[in-house]
Order: sequence, then C-alpha cells, then structure tokens
Amino acid sequence: MEGDHILIKKYLDGNQASLKMLIDRYTSSIYNFSSRFVGYEQAKDTTQEVFIKVWKNLKNFDENKSQFKTWIFTIARNSITDYLRKKKSIPFSFLNDEELIEENVLDEEILPDEVYQKLQDKEMLIKVLDETPVQYREVLILRYQEDMTFKEIGEVMDKPLNTVKSYHQRALVLLHQKLK
Amino acid sequence: MSDNLSKLLKQAYNHPETGLSDDIWRVIKLKQARNLKMQSLSYSLIGVLSLGGFVFMSFYLKEQFALSGFFEYVSLAFSDSGAVALYWKEYLLSLADSVPIASLGASAFLLLSMLISVKKIVHQYKSQLLLNQN
Repeated sequence: MEGDHILIKKYLDGNQASLKMLIDRYTSSIYNFSSRFVGYEQAKDTTQEVFIKVWKNLKNFDENKSQFKTWIFTIARNSITDYLRKKKSIPFSFLNDEELIEENVLDEEILPDEVYQKLQDKEMLIKVLDETPVQYREVLILRYQEDMTFKEIGEVMDKPLNTVKSYHQRALVLLHQKLK
Repeated sequence: MSDNLSKLLKQAYNHPETGLSDDIWRVIKLKQARNLKMQSLSYSLIGVLSLGGFVFMSFYLKEQFALSGFFEYVSLAFSDSGAVALYWKEYLLSLADSVPIASLGASAFLLLSMLISVKKIVHQYKSQLLLNQN
C-alpha cells in the first residue's frame, strides 16, 4: 500500500486517482470521528467539507511539518468546531484551554474488569461516551479508534502534550465513575 | 488495557458509510471541472483582450517608430555607413532615443500576456482531459 505522502506527490504531479485513493482511505475515519460530535447525518456533510478543504489545500501541505493523518484530522476538528459554533451548541471547553487540576493519578489499569464488562455493551459505551465532555471524547476516539499517539493528538487538538495526557486520564476516570 | 478499549471503540464507532467516498469524489470532480471551466474562460478572455490590444499596439508602434525618425536613422546606417562609423556614439544615442520605449514595453507586455494565456489554456485543456479520463 502506497504511503500518504507518495499519493499526495502523485496527485500534485497530475495523477487524479491518487486523490481518490486518499479519499477512500480516510472517509470512514473522518466520518466516524465527525459523527461523534455532530451526529451521523451532519457527519456526511462535514466529511465532504473536510475533503474539499483537503483538495483545495493539498498543494500547501508540508510533509515536514506534520503527517497527513494529523493534518486531515486537524481540518476535521476545525470543521466540526465551525459547525458547532454556527449551531451555537459548542461547549465552552471545546474552544478554550482550561485549567487542569491534577487529580487521581491512576495507573494503566484504570478500568477494571467489571467496567470492561459493561463497556462490551455497544449502546452503553456510545451513551457513556456521548455524555463525556467533548475534549475527553475527542482524546479517547483519536487515541483508541484512530491509534494516534499523544503527540499526534496534541497536534490535532493544538494542545500541549501534558494537557492531552491529562484529558486522557480524566476521560478514563470519568468512564470509570460513570460505569461504577 | 489500551488494546481492549481500542477494540471496543472500533466496534462501537464503526458505522460504515457506503458510497460516501464516491459521493465526495463526484463533488470534487464537479468542482474541479467548474474551476477548470472558469479558469479557461478567464484565460480565453485575457488572451482575446491581449490579442486585440497587441494588434492595436502594433499599428500604434509602427506609427511611433515612423514619427520618431527611427527608420531614417536605420536607413542612414546603410546609405552613409562612413559617417555612422565616424560618429557611432552620437548615432547610437540618437537611434536609442528614437525608440518609443513605452509603446514597445506595452506591446511586449500584451504579447507576453497573450502567450501566457495560450499556455494556460492548453494546460487547462490537458487537465480537463485528464479529469475526464479518471
């Protein structure tokens, strides 16, 4: 499978099929990511908007600055933010940095078995995640669904590494509390 | 831990959207085609205007050359080459002075615009062909 950068280079050299391959590669991820914040119906439009922005700005993409995956997720995040802002339903914390109070520093086994048992229920998992603050949900989805590193998540969210790690930890604590 | 949560989330949030990437591709192709059409029209307009301007400027330039005495200076080089060789510095200065620089510059600019427009139109046409092939 050809890497993203190779496909971008090929597209910029005139190979249209390479852009189609990039769209095929990322549509599902962007759609599923968007749907967690704007709902499935709006996610289609948001995903389309993301790829139109990608197409328009692909010549400005700098592979030395970021990976394509983090770049496209940053665009998706901005599109979601714009949509929520227009809809005036944006949680304050989605746009602004907040003071993070370090609490309950937990080890990796933050989610015990009984919590995992409850999370097996797909409906329950979606319900619990939809109830968590947007930035925590964002970290969880990027981390566990998109397999991004904390550094990459920081690039997408434009937040320092420690903030992302704190969001992650707080998200897990919150999941634990909700499912206790 | 992360493997378990990853598996759960991937299962929960895997909502396949069949046909969405094809729809997106169709929209992008339409936008590309529209952009190419708009650009082709713009370049064609610039090309036609440049051509018209260049034709007009060519006649004007010819007139300017005639009025400034440029042709007389040139013919002097053939009819009295001895005098030209003797006073070559003055001759060259007078010859340079008789060149209608502004009109010449405007003509060159129009010619260049026209050539660039033609080049761009050919490029747009090739892109359109490429787009239709995909």
